Amino acid sequence: MSQSRRDFLRKTGCAALSMAALATQVKHFGLMSALAQEKNSGDAVPSDYRALVCIFLSGGNDGSNAVIPNHSDLNISNYAAYNAVRAPNGLAIPQASLLPITVPRINNLTYGLHPNLVELQGLYNSGKLAIVTNVGTLVQPLTRTTYQNNTVPKPYQLFSHSDQVQQAQSSISSTRSNTGWGGRTADTSQGLNSGAQVPMITSVAGSQLFTSGAITKPLAVNPAPTALNQLLTLTGYDASAPAAARRTAFDQLRTVDLTSNVVHAAHDVTQEAINASNALNQPDPTLTATFPNTSIGNQLKQVAKFLGIRNTLSINRQIFFCQLGGFDTHTGELNSHATLYTQLSQAMKAFYDETVAQGISGGVTTFTLSDFGRTFLPSGVGAGTVGSDHGWANHMFVLGGSVLGGNFYGMNTSNGTPFPTLQLSGPDDTDNRGRFIPTTSVDQYAATLATWYGLAAADLSTVFPLLGNFGSNNLGFV
Amino acid sequence: MSKNFPDGLSLRLFRCVGVCLLIIVSSALGAAQSRTRPDTPVLISEDGSTRALSVNPYRWRGKFPTPSQTVWTSSDETRVTLFLTNLDLMKGEGANAFRADAEDANGRQFPLTVESLTPVNKYEWIYATVVRLNGQIGDAGDVLVRVTWRGMATNRVRLALGHPGGGIKDDEGATPTAAPLVPPKPYQDAEPNQLGFGAQFSGDRMRFMEQATFGPTADLDLRLRRIGIYVYMGEQFDLPYPGIAYPVLPPQTTQIPGTCTGDCIRDNYSMYPLQRWFFQDAVYGKAQLRRRVAWALSQIFVVSGVDTQQPSQYLPYLQVLDRNAFGNYRTLLGEITLNTAMGNYLDMVRSTKTNPNENYAREVLQLFSVGLVKLNPDGTPQCLEHNPCQAGDTQIPTYDQNVVNGFTKVFTGWNFAPPQIPGITNYIDPMTLVPANHDTTSKLLLDGVTLPANQTGAQDLNAALDNIFNNPSVGPFISRQLIQHLVTSDPTPAYVGRVAAVFNNNGYGVRGDLKAVVRAILADPEARGDVKTDPNYGYLREPALFVTNILRQFNARAASGAAGSQSDGYLDPQTIAMSQDVFRPPSVFNYYPPDYIVPVSGIKGPEFYLMNTSTALKRTNFGNTIVFNTIPATTGGNTNAPFGTSLDLSEMQALAAADASGVQLMDALNRKLMHGSMSAQMRSIITTAVLAAPSSNPLLRARTAIYLVATSSQYQVQR
Repeated sequence: MSQSRRDFLRKTGCAALSMAALATQVKHFGLMSALAQEKNSGDAVPSDYRALVCIFLSGGNDGSNAVIPNHSDLNISNYAAYNAVRAPNGLAIPQASLLPITVPRINNLTYGLHPNLVELQGLYNSGKLAIVTNVGTLVQPLTRTTYQNNTVPKPYQLFSHSDQVQQAQSSISSTRSNTGWGGRTADTSQGLNSGAQVPMITSVAGSQLFTSGAITKPLAVNPAPTALNQLLTLTGYDASAPAAARRTAFDQLRTVDLTSNVVHAAHDVTQEAINASNALNQPDPTLTATFPNTSIGNQLKQVAKFLGIRNTLSINRQIFFCQLGGFDTHTGELNSHATLYTQLSQAMKAFYDETVAQGISGGVTTFTLSDFGRTFLPSGVGAGTVGSDHGWANHMFVLGGSVLGGNFYGMNTSNGTPFPTLQLSGPDDTDNRGRFIPTTSVDQYAATLATWYGLAAADLSTVFPLLGNFGSNNLGFV
Repeated sequence: MSKNFPDGLSLRLFRCVGVCLLIIVSSALGAAQSRTRPDTPVLISEDGSTRALSVNPYRWRGKFPTPSQTVWTSSDETRVTLFLTNLDLMKGEGANAFRADAEDANGRQFPLTVESLTPVNKYEWIYATVVRLNGQIGDAGDVLVRVTWRGMATNRVRLALGHPGGGIKDDEGATPTAAPLVPPKPYQDAEPNQLGFGAQFSGDRMRFMEQATFGPTADLDLRLRRIGIYVYMGEQFDLPYPGIAYPVLPPQTTQIPGTCTGDCIRDNYSMYPLQRWFFQDAVYGKAQLRRRVAWALSQIFVVSGVDTQQPSQYLPYLQVLDRNAFGNYRTLLGEITLNTAMGNYLDMVRSTKTNPNENYAREVLQLFSVGLVKLNPDGTPQCLEHNPCQAGDTQIPTYDQNVVNGFTKVFTGWNFAPPQIPGITNYIDPMTLVPANHDTTSKLLLDGVTLPANQTGAQDLNAALDNIFNNPSVGPFISRQLIQHLVTSDPTPAYVGRVAAVFNNNGYGVRGDLKAVVRAILADPEARGDVKTDPNYGYLREPALFVTNILRQFNARAASGAAGSQSDGYLDPQTIAMSQDVFRPPSVFNYYPPDYIVPVSGIKGPEFYLMNTSTALKRTNFGNTIVFNTIPATTGGNTNAPFGTSLDLSEMQALAAADASGVQLMDALNRKLMHGSMSAQMRSIITTAVLAAPSSNPLLRARTAIYLVATSSQYQVQR
């Protein structure tokens, strides 16, 4: 990493710390973004192609064991503070095994990644991976006091999986929403995609609120190894006249009995599949990177194949949704994390490498979301058993050639850094189990990504109706 | 105002407006009946037009007949009185049994709120209903307004918002429905809810089988024709089960014997034997209603085989559901709580006073009993500001983290029972208490109840489960989900309320009687009837039901087609392709969420969570596999499917051979698969394709027709 890039990262840190007036800030970050792309010479930025790739860590990832203080600074939570709470039950990751990363935003202190996030450490160090800390669902900014006093609205049904998944995906934490922020971003960005052969959003993990807009409906397809031309195929039609007549009837049946909204909804899904099946009826592009044969590896591989045929799909903007499950680690967290983090890290690296090979790494930004973080105080005891319960704030990873990586981002917590104070009943805890209160809202995190994607500033408040409740529209990490 | 029509004629016309299909069905049966119990509501129009008879509720003094106001302001605050007739209300049936919607010229549909329903003075057969408009409609001009009741839709009448006109067309065949100013003749009361009893064909009987079993069969239809649905349900409640014996499984082990590999592991230590057993019992078992209800319960009290992995841990859990499907909810809750598969899945077995685990405490409240939000007796949420809630109101949580903490303490200290076989964890018997691990401090429960300190673990558990059981939300919460699984995704609050009232008291003072709840669900007028015309009625068949319904309709057998042979039940690969891996849901939140809203469409449709562009075509392709081919028996050392599966299409083939016009074939499929509700357009489209196959190939004709019906959305939606 060049010296000038380090300068940038320091400036980013300073900017985020001071959080100046909104207009100045957006302008400032815009400048940095352009310069950063210049610096990332290995990352080609395609003239007009951008993709957002969501990796949803389903179940509630315990980010407190993914990103860990690896310093002994006494002014903020250090490794000893982490160890004091997590070691007695056996949930602490030994300091010697942490993968060190330097955080310019926090005085160049060293933090550590979970030992199985090997590839993500490399990407962080090469400036492709940013970490947004202490993110969560919020209606308005909260403190321990206002949380406990109930003087400020809280997200609807905190700590409930189903609701918190919905809010992470809807970016509307005050109520239940029928649309997701990916879908609403697509609703307002359709103009960027005229002539596209497939919908703007593709899920390789089934139906998800994230992908649904007021008018946007996603394409849902199977992950690799299914070939593109096998994703959406109708079987059983040969060239005979009766088969042709049957096919005609099969299609015509979707044009009648529309008075039933339930039938109509089923018609629509089938029709969308038929519409997309022709566009996808083409050979798989050749991929350069080797993807691990895991669930998330095969999902990202399928996404990479879509990227590879973007030109034949005549598409300029795409949003993808992937999901890695198994993070509801009430028990057996150490074993689960070892497996899941290895899978996540290897798959994200392969995917990034593939975007570099395709010459579009600057046009593809991959990011994580999850239900919630988990209690800093472990549940259960013993290496095979210990886990953690449902919490709140969490750390997110953002990866891509346009990402201003190698640093932490997000609003400051009460300790003056974007990393929470790891103390039970401390200033960032809701109660006494270490359910940390987010300082950066999902809305800010999402709006930053959507702005990079091409969402007009004028549409921000439509897509993210609560965004105005928070200090900044753009966290500056991309 | 009814001077245009003689009284009886006008009523018949009313019924024709929304449900011409009903006329087709009944005339096909030659049943020229006199007036029957009203089941199709009618919205009254102005005299001689299809414009709604509408008055301002703030100004109307209840005098009738009354002049109609013609133009309304589109806003959330505008209330309009409309008039309904041809109703037959049960005691207590009011506004929450009705829904209304409006469609504008752009085809957008908007829900309207039905606020009240009252009979008109001196015209008791006419009801004034106050409907609250929806500001999102805007200054739309004429919209078409409809009211639904018990799954039946009225005719649609015009209502002018902002200004009259605007280009929306009347529904095809719509006629004026002026107010009947003389009372209707009394109707001849067929046995309520026994429609189809004795009739050669009854659409309602077929629908009942779709709701209460894994699919209609000819034999069962014949039996229902003789005994009716009440006697059938009574039989089912008492029938020995399971119809197909549970698989015999070795105890769960951490060390699979070295001699056991390949098929041995599959048959003893994977979910394979249970999945095959499930499909065999669903397709061939006699205890259909119990299997169906237990299947629904397995989607409420979820344990996933993804986690338990070994079937011998899962089977006792399934047996709890089977045993209690027609028992008492409280017993079920108690047995589920101490079931080891559940204890393992939601971590109660590891929760101790020093290391408590919230998982079971949280999910038993959120998913198995009361839900997150306080409910009214009809299942609608309670809000701080209004009841019923209005847009923007704050729903009242049922509990908070302090209550979760209280229940977490309740559930501490339980662990596996002593091993039956030394060294092998006991996954068979209920968990037992290790008193030293139980938290004996006081515990905050629901409704402000606090358990005193120093109770035993069993005392705490019983008191806490009683506390849950007696919470008023349980009845509507559980009833609503069972209705969704058996009958319709979006039941009216009135339906939920009727069933929940039975949950609360089965008529003999017993709370939680699931047998009575199931009976109430299936006998309810919102479930019964030949045809349902409410546009939001029914549910998308989940993959398992989609597959079993087709199999049962056509006498599924082995791939060989040998007479008397049976499918091997190896059908999970079929449903996996459609995103439903039986007994292996992805999480405690089941295969799909009960409150899932279909994107863009906006309707409630839990099962649509599993239907996307990918799985939609997998469903279609299943139709091709099973109708044009077979699911073959596996060969070459692979014994996964020892016999395979195929359909017996001989009856349909014979009808295609006997009648080259295709009429008999289509009649049969309409009755068999669509319970007589196939539209004329659907029939015409399929007939054209059928006739494109040569008459010399009746099997191809039969297959063409069956494929097209079975893969259609019209069939995949059970309504």
